Amino acid sequence: MTAHRHLRRTFSVLAGLLGLAYLFPLAWVVITSLKTDGEVLHAPDSVIFTPTLSTYAAVIQSGLGAILTSVVIAVLVTAAILLIGIPGAFALGHSFGGGWIRVVAVVLGILLVLQMVPQPMTIIPLYGILARWHILGTLFGLILADIALLLPFAMMLLRPYVLAIPQVIYEAARIDGASVVRAFLSITVPMLSNGIFIVMCVIFISSWGEFLYAINFLPQGATLPVSGLLAEQNSSYVAQWNRVMALAVLTSLPLLIVFLFTQRRLINGLSMGAVR
Amino acid sequence: MSATTTARGSTWTRTGSVGVRVRAFLETHPVGYLTPALLILAAFGVYPLIVLFQMAFSDVGPTNLIGTWDFVGWSNFASVLSSGQVWAALLRTVAVSAALLVSNLVLGFVVASILSVPSRITTTTLAIMVFIWALPPLVSANAWKFLLDTSGPVDAIFALFTQNQPQWLSSPTLALWTVTGVIAWAALPFSALILRGSMLAIPQDLIDAAAIDGARYWRTQLAIVMPLVKPTLWILSIFTLLYAFKSFDFFYIMTQGGPGVATNTLPVLTYYSAFSNFDMSTGATIAALSMVVVALLSIPYIRGIRREGTE
Repeated sequence: MTAHRHLRRTFSVLAGLLGLAYLFPLAWVVITSLKTDGEVLHAPDSVIFTPTLSTYAAVIQSGLGAILTSVVIAVLVTAAILLIGIPGAFALGHSFGGGWIRVVAVVLGILLVLQMVPQPMTIIPLYGILARWHILGTLFGLILADIALLLPFAMMLLRPYVLAIPQVIYEAARIDGASVVRAFLSITVPMLSNGIFIVMCVIFISSWGEFLYAINFLPQGATLPVSGLLAEQNSSYVAQWNRVMALAVLTSLPLLIVFLFTQRRLINGLSMGAVR
Repeated sequence: MSATTTARGSTWTRTGSVGVRVRAFLETHPVGYLTPALLILAAFGVYPLIVLFQMAFSDVGPTNLIGTWDFVGWSNFASVLSSGQVWAALLRTVAVSAALLVSNLVLGFVVASILSVPSRITTTTLAIMVFIWALPPLVSANAWKFLLDTSGPVDAIFALFTQNQPQWLSSPTLALWTVTGVIAWAALPFSALILRGSMLAIPQDLIDAAAIDGARYWRTQLAIVMPLVKPTLWILSIFTLLYAFKSFDFFYIMTQGGPGVATNTLPVLTYYSAFSNFDMSTGATIAALSMVVVALLSIPYIRGIRREGTE
């Protein structure tokens, strides 16, 4: 069994190296965002410096509108997806009997196809459709597009949680005289709380990070969300890396917060939804 | 007479408010729960797909985007298929897919094996990797663009060993592989997590039996664990292919298809034909064609899964 112990030690070292390969870029982003303009320009690779929050102060001061836009988009998209997606997932996961299972199969197929379509490709017809319906260049149009982009994923992620609710509970409720609507509201929704939490986090993080629709569907000169601002930095030639990295940290802020508090729950939840 | 009025009256109060009527409908029609989702997805998910194909068969530019579109038959397809750029983009997309398949399946398997041995370091590494996977690609792409910048830390490390610095993102030959490497880095956590999940689900006595037989670790992994996680490997390879055909954010941030056209993959080419040249029809045609390729690619895989399922 010495070989085994030897292997274990090698694996620990390898796992550590792997962790560093993923931690280093993150650490570098944070370190750079704590430098001043001058330090980034003259000694970009230095790790010995006095960290300062001045870059954040500048970015937040000039980007307060952007943060507000991000909050509005992410909150509204998340709320709408939960409102639409929870009953939707219930319909796809609850056994209603009759020919309903065939409808479920068709809808699941459509959801899969919609998830497969690359975003840079749907954006082309969507641009035309939003223009024709006169909601191109409005926050409302952008939010609708975001909802449609993330809804299939939300429903697929939530469905296994609906399936996991034992049928017996519904039968007991029916015998007690509870209607289907009542069962949905007082059995399904409370029992889905874990799944709803995961979906809420994932959708909030995704809608906060979405930028392609934002930079194309919002009008020229509009207040972009933080993610859009970060994507636009791309086209400016003089890269102020400390600012870009501060924006990057702001773009990942919801994820950071969710992760710090609910790491284990998130990891388990995501792997459950992804495998099934 | 009075009986009918009371009956009508009671029906009126029962179905009078919209809320009550919806509730009654939901009691017997499960489709009611699905309707809001279906409406949104029909308008902003399925309908755009129809319009996409309509655009591919029409002449749509910036001037008539909101006007009438002239039907032009297959002529967009003819011009797209005779364009060397499109074929080059397809070849690049296939190359990226192949590289990602190797990375996600082979490296993914190795990393999952390493991370399925429990220790404190493993837990920490796993958490960091999941964090990276959940990070918006926009952020990790910007991070790597900075790391690989000429004044960045990667070049500083390379300067210790070699005089001629690799031109990570500005060399036409290297840029595609640099971005592919970054995409692989960002995609690996997902495949490792999924594979680790199905490895941990394997009954321990199967592995113990192999160990008693004196099989070495990696031999066990290959001869016993690998066949058992094969269904997961299948699903992962579909995910990977779809992911490769979707990969856009990293290219958009890191190279914008450049230098020149060196990193123009299908999604990148599609996007820029539509939104830089405002040639909506060409963009839509390339998009339609690449969706057909994706559909063709997924057929053998879906069959494979079916077979796995019935065995």
